[in-house]
Amino acid sequence: MSNNNALISPFAKKKIAEAIRLILAIMVTVVMVFPLYWLLATALKTEDEVMSATITFWPKVIQWQNFSYVINKVPFFKYMLNTAVVTALQMSSELLLGILAAYAFSKGKFHGKHACFLIVLGAMMIPIQVTFIPLYIIIARVGLMNTYWGVWIAGCVSSYAIFLLRQAFMTVDDSYLEAARVDGMNKLGVLFRIMVPMCKPTMITVALTAFMGGWNNYFWPKVIVKVQDMYVLTVGVQRLRTSYGGEITNNYHQIMAGVLLSIIPVFIVFAIFQKHMLSGFTKAAMK
Amino acid sequence: MKKKLTTMEIGGRTVHIRPEKFYWSDFFMALPAVLILVLITYYPIAELIRISFTDWRLTSNVYDYVGFKNWNWLFTAKTSTRYLSNSLRITVIYTVGNIAIDLGIGLLLAHLFNRLTKPFAAMRALIFMPRYIAMSSCGIIFLWMLNTDYGVINKMLEWVGVTEHINWLGDDQNALISILILTGWHGIGYCMMIYLSALLGISKDYYEASSLDGATGLQQFRYITLPLLSPTTLFLFITTFISSMKVYQSVDVMTGGGPRQKTEVMVYYIYRLAFDDNRLDRASVVALLFFVILLLVTASTLRVTNKNVHYEA
Repeated sequence: MSNNNALISPFAKKKIAEAIRLILAIMVTVVMVFPLYWLLATALKTEDEVMSATITFWPKVIQWQNFSYVINKVPFFKYMLNTAVVTALQMSSELLLGILAAYAFSKGKFHGKHACFLIVLGAMMIPIQVTFIPLYIIIARVGLMNTYWGVWIAGCVSSYAIFLLRQAFMTVDDSYLEAARVDGMNKLGVLFRIMVPMCKPTMITVALTAFMGGWNNYFWPKVIVKVQDMYVLTVGVQRLRTSYGGEITNNYHQIMAGVLLSIIPVFIVFAIFQKHMLSGFTKAAMK
Repeated sequence: MKKKLTTMEIGGRTVHIRPEKFYWSDFFMALPAVLILVLITYYPIAELIRISFTDWRLTSNVYDYVGFKNWNWLFTAKTSTRYLSNSLRITVIYTVGNIAIDLGIGLLLAHLFNRLTKPFAAMRALIFMPRYIAMSSCGIIFLWMLNTDYGVINKMLEWVGVTEHINWLGDDQNALISILILTGWHGIGYCMMIYLSALLGISKDYYEASSLDGATGLQQFRYITLPLLSPTTLFLFITTFISSMKVYQSVDVMTGGGPRQKTEVMVYYIYRLAFDDNRLDRASVVALLFFVILLLVTASTLRVTNKNVHYEA
C-alpha cells in the first residue's frame, strides 16, 4: 500500500477514483435501464425472435404489426380513453378541492380548523387496501360500479395534496393578501389570482403526482370495474396475457407492444416536465 | 370588513388584540375535502367493524348479525390461522426485504451518483424512470424477463455457466425473490434521489474538520453521514414500510399469490377472501387486523426512532 502511495501522485489517484466511479455508475445505469430497453426491443420482434434459443438484442426487421395486433385484440383506445377521463377527473378534483382546503387550513380562520386538519392528516394512514370492501359495497349500492365516477370517487381528494399545498400557502406573506383585499378582491380572487400563481412549482408537483396516481392506478379500478369495456389501461393490458378462452399465453412480443403503448403518455409527460418531476418528488419528501 | 379591537394591558403597555374570528367562507372551503375524506376513509372503517359482526356474502344482499363468530374464526379456525399466519409471514419477509433493498442500495447509489455534472444528472434521471411506470406494467416486463425457458435473465445466466434454467416464478423460494427484484428495481431510484438531496444538505465543514483529525472515510460515514441522514432514513423507512405492507399489484401480476400461497401477502389474502371466496365478513375481519397492525407498527416506529434521530445538521 505505502509503495503504491509513493508511486501514484494524489492527483492521479483522485482521477483514477473518479474514472472508476464513472464506470460503476454507467454499469448501474445500464442494468437499471435494461428492462425498459428489453420492453422496447421485444415489442418490435417477431415471434421466432422472441422464442429463439439465443438472445436477439435488436430485431432484424421492425415488426410494427405487433401494435396493430394489440389495438385489434383489445379495445385499446377505449381503455386509453377510460384512463384519460378518470385521470383528468382525479387531477381536477384533487387540485380544486385541495387548493380550497389548503387555503382554509393555511390562511383561514374558523373553529375546529385544527381538528379538521387532523382528520385530513389521519386519512393518510388509512389506505384503500383496508377500506376497499365497504367502499365496494357503497359504490355498488349507489349504482356506480363500472362507471368513471365509481373509479374517480376513491381518489377524488388527496390528503397528501392538501398537505403539500398548505405548506406552500403558508409561505405566502399575509401582506399580499391584505393588499389584494384592500383593492377589493374577494377571497376566491385572492386565492386563485395571487396565491395559486405564487405557488406554481407546488401546483405542478401536485398535478403531476395526481396524473401519475391516476394513470398508474390498478388496485381500485380492478375492484370496481368488472365490465371489460370500462377497464383502465393498467388492468386492460393484462388481458393480452390470456387467450380468448382465458388461458395464459406466451405471445410476449405482442404483450410488450401493448405495455409500451400504454406507458407512452407517461413518457411524454416525463419528457416535458422532467425537471419538475425529479425536484417535485424529492421536494415533497423534504417537507 | 369590520375590525373590532380588544385592548389589553400587558406588562404596563396597551396592546390591541384582534379577537379570534370565525369565517363561514373559510369553513366552507375546507368542508368538501374533509367531508369526502370522512366518507371515503373513516366511514368505511366503521362499516368494516359492522360487517365483521355479520355473515355478509358477496353474492347476497341480506345478512344477519352473528356476534363474534368471524373473530372466533380468525383466531381459532384452522384454515384461517394457517392462511393468516402464512400471509402475515410473507408480508413481513417481503417488507423487511424491500426496505433493506430500497434503503440499502438507495444509499449506496446516492453515494455513487453524488456528482453534480451533466452525465451523472442524466444517469440519475434514467434510474429514477421506473418509478413513473405502473407497477402492473413493470410486472409484465419482469414476468417476461424472468420466463423460465425464453427469459433473457436465464439466458444471460447461461453465459456465466448456469445452464440449468431457474424457475423464477413457479418455485416456492424464488417467487418472493422475483417480486423483491421487481419492486426493488421500481423503488431504488426514489430512495437514491431522496438520500442524495439529503447528502447535499450536509455541510462540508464536518468532513474537512474530521479529516484534519485523521478520520478515515469509513469513520466519517459511520459517525457523520449516517447520524445526519437519520431523519431521511426515518422518512424513507416509514413510507417504504407502509407501501411494502400494502403490496398487491406486483404479486397480482407476477404470481397471483402462488405457488402454493408462497407469495400470498395480506392484501392479496383479503382480496381473495372477499372476491374469490365471496366472504365479505371474513375479509373484513382480516382487513381490520391488517389496519391495526399498520397503525401499531407506524406509531411505535415513530415513538422509538424519535429518540434516536438527529434533526440538527
